Amino acid sequence: MFNKVNIVININCLLILCLFTFSASSQTLRVGLIDFPPHLSFDGELKKSPLYQYVNKILDSLNYTVEYVKLPNERAYLELTKGQLDLLLPISIPVNKGEINTPFTPIFHSVPGLCFKKENFIPILSATHRFDELTIGIPAASSPVTALTNSKAKLIPIKGENATSRGIELTQRGRFDAFYHPSPIKVYHRNSPLYKEVACSYFHGYSTPMHIAVANKLSKTTTDRIHKAFETAMQKHSYEFYFASRK
Amino acid sequence: MKPTSFSKMCILALFVFPIFFQVKAEDEKMKTLINEVTKIYMSSMFYIFKNQPLINQKNIDKHELFGTNFIENIEAVYREKYHEEFPQRDHFAIKMILQVMIEVMDDNKELLYDNDIGFKGIIPATFAFQLSAKLATKGIGLKIKFTRTEENIRNNMNRPDLWETRVMQKIIDKPQIYYDENSLLNGKAVIRQFTPLPMEAYCLACHGKPENNPLNVGKAETAWTNIDITGFEMENWTIDDFGGGVSISLEKSVLNDLK
Repeated sequence: MFNKVNIVININCLLILCLFTFSASSQTLRVGLIDFPPHLSFDGELKKSPLYQYVNKILDSLNYTVEYVKLPNERAYLELTKGQLDLLLPISIPVNKGEINTPFTPIFHSVPGLCFKKENFIPILSATHRFDELTIGIPAASSPVTALTNSKAKLIPIKGENATSRGIELTQRGRFDAFYHPSPIKVYHRNSPLYKEVACSYFHGYSTPMHIAVANKLSKTTTDRIHKAFETAMQKHSYEFYFASRK
Repeated sequence: MKPTSFSKMCILALFVFPIFFQVKAEDEKMKTLINEVTKIYMSSMFYIFKNQPLINQKNIDKHELFGTNFIENIEAVYREKYHEEFPQRDHFAIKMILQVMIEVMDDNKELLYDNDIGFKGIIPATFAFQLSAKLATKGIGLKIKFTRTEENIRNNMNRPDLWETRVMQKIIDKPQIYYDENSLLNGKAVIRQFTPLPMEAYCLACHGKPENNPLNVGKAETAWTNIDITGFEMENWTIDDFGGGVSISLEKSVLNDLK
């Protein structure tokens, strides 16, 4: 009699364990992606983007079914706050977007800089005296670094959604001597059509951390599980090192 | 002294002395580690200086500047410059600085391969600053700064803090390594070391006199400029001037966790 009860209990435990494992492995995660070349590029094949590869490998190891959604910046924030996404990357913590949950170590850092027509290139931006007399376009939505605001450069704000592309266009046409970009790497990389047109240098020391945001609706268990997997992976090889070491 | 007091003292000494020697040994290990990190940092700056032609040349293969190739080159400079083996990579500080070097060079890859740009601006000082800036984002409690006395400092972000200023005042006339195992930085307990650096000939290409300026080579003296290749006015320093130093801090709380 006692033996039979024991067997029934054991079978029940096994069933619960199987059910738990199955539910964990079959959970679907909806991951929002924001275009951030060359880390995450919507132009080419997404699977070739290094940030996609790094993140996907981690989530894959947790046996989630992952659905990736490419989104424009503004809509991505909206979908995250509405709970339509579980994760969103890469994002900087915006001041005006309410509470965004970013519990993990930043995935990488973005460094602002100036883009010039190649013939006017200034390679070292700590030489701020070289900004005297320069006219520099700045997207109105961005906050330029103090090295620039404290310089004698003439700063012209550019309004509108497409401020970045207009700024670059005006620089190419010689209306600006340079253009301030919060992340020049987005345009100054070898797969970009603008690589031939402009050259960018960086305000090192003024980096912005880029995060993976987590939806508030995501359960603590799932968040903790993903968190642990990311921290373990980052300790072994950070994404920045993975990006720098890729062939 | 009563026999009981004597035996109490003996027992006390038995406990205290091993702790004292252990602390001393840990201290020595830390000093060695910080010295190694400083020498690796200096070797990388020297390599960057020696390879200015490779860095600035157009239309050539530059794979020596990236990834493990770059680190192997730094190792070679280290061995040649200090006549000793490159340190073991068994401490997080060594591993991390080598990783960050690879990351910094990769950050500059687009510029290094831009065949429309001649002078890329990747010189020892800017490379060292990029390393410092990147290391600061890692949140591992290790900070490195290449700094100098307040006057004539070119990059505001390299300005010395109060501790560095005081140390330089102490050692400027008789340069020697200054080690402080009980310091505070941003409210955290840290070990700090300042290693003064001798002025090297390559420093003078930018910070020396117009005759040291490579831009003046082959020109009549009347046509010389005192503006260096980076766009700064040269400081007229000589080889006997104080060359600044490398300031390193390591948070005590992370020392044991991250070994």
